[in-house]
Amino acid sequence: MNTITMLVGVMIAASMVSGVLYVAFGQITVRKLRKNPKTKGLLGVEYASGWDIINVAQAFSLPRSWTRKIEKSKFSFFYANATVLYENTTKFDQVLGFVFYWVLTTTGLSGALLVLLNYIGIFSE
Amino acid sequence: MSEIILCNRTYSASVFKNECGIGIELASSLTCANPDMIIANTPYLLKNGNSAVCKASLAKLSNPSITKNLTSLALSFGGDNLISLSSISSQLQEYNVGLMGASTSVYANRMGGFVGSVKNYQSALIEYSQVAKSKSPLKVAAKQKAKMAFDKMQNSFKHEVKVVTSQVKSSRGTPLTNFDRGANIAKSSRNMAKLDIMTPVQADKIVKFTKYAKVLGNGLTIIDFGSRVGNIQNSYKAGGNWEREMFIESSSFAASAATGIGVVNVGAGALTFLMVATPIGWIGLIVGGLVVAGAAATASIGMNNIIKDNAGNTYDALIKSL
Repeated sequence: MNTITMLVGVMIAASMVSGVLYVAFGQITVRKLRKNPKTKGLLGVEYASGWDIINVAQAFSLPRSWTRKIEKSKFSFFYANATVLYENTTKFDQVLGFVFYWVLTTTGLSGALLVLLNYIGIFSE
Repeated sequence: MSEIILCNRTYSASVFKNECGIGIELASSLTCANPDMIIANTPYLLKNGNSAVCKASLAKLSNPSITKNLTSLALSFGGDNLISLSSISSQLQEYNVGLMGASTSVYANRMGGFVGSVKNYQSALIEYSQVAKSKSPLKVAAKQKAKMAFDKMQNSFKHEVKVVTSQVKSSRGTPLTNFDRGANIAKSSRNMAKLDIMTPVQADKIVKFTKYAKVLGNGLTIIDFGSRVGNIQNSYKAGGNWEREMFIESSSFAASAATGIGVVNVGAGALTFLMVATPIGWIGLIVGGLVVAGAAATASIGMNNIIKDNAGNTYDALIKSL
């Protein structure tokens, strides 16, 4: 098995895992938040339908000091409001969101890196 | 080159000779080498190129499940356009992530716009052809309108038109690059269309295209570019290894979506940082947003290609090791 075949295998596995987590986090946590009048309007901008799931996960994943800074800036509406979300979720939701966000982001960025490496011809024999 | 003709009505030998100027003895269909009449919705090969390659193309196009749709598409788009469109649509298959994710909506808009402008041009030509037949004084206006649609397509989508038509090697030019050719096709009768097919691969692409595109009468065509499911089903129908195909399609979708999302996330974060830290303002946000969308589209299309090229090998390796 050559390198690219293996890396593609890893990439596929990682994206499957992040896909499963995406659905799980969306169903377990975000569906609840969408119904809750306190959090409904604070889930951030949706670039595409379902993007609020990523916003919520992001709020649980970035360092608290960053999210506080974001909340004070004029661009807070782009992001989910971490303070309110922490008050309205359980520890389990937060951990799930954290794991999901970093699995997804790592997968995505290593995907972009793989594209770049492939483009500059690292894998051609 | 194989010249294949398609008619939407049945002709007797003499009428066919009169209307089309081609003797029926030159035509042969898949099932009948010397037909006495031309039957509607059946592809006929003109005999001047009667090689094995031509026969193979004819056989592909004669699949009874597609011939009716194929004829309508060839008539509504014109033979050369049909060949061009089927070859872009096969390229677009690879880009279909672009049609699904927000990260890539810029690209999707562009391709959607291109297909739309080809369609506008085409329907203006069809209108012109109807007016021209009735010899009404509106003929000039209709021709003008078609010319405008043509210019609009040329100006907005120069690059795409070039990419598409570079594969068509007709000496007369194609209706996409040459308005007069389009107008002439429109003016002549539209009961028959001719496909100049260079290679069986082109025939394959056309067959695929007819499966995705549906004619809803009146030249209105729906093209379903996003057919990952189509690939799997085609492979299943053809008795191929559809599990392998499904593995490739689903994994390339998941991986390219994740890649696009990753880039958008980081890009949006970087933009926020720039907006907070520097006085670039809203214009910067819009320009930066386009850059992020473009980068995300590039990355996710790149990922899609990598997975499509390699997932088959990965699948084989997995199956072997299990």
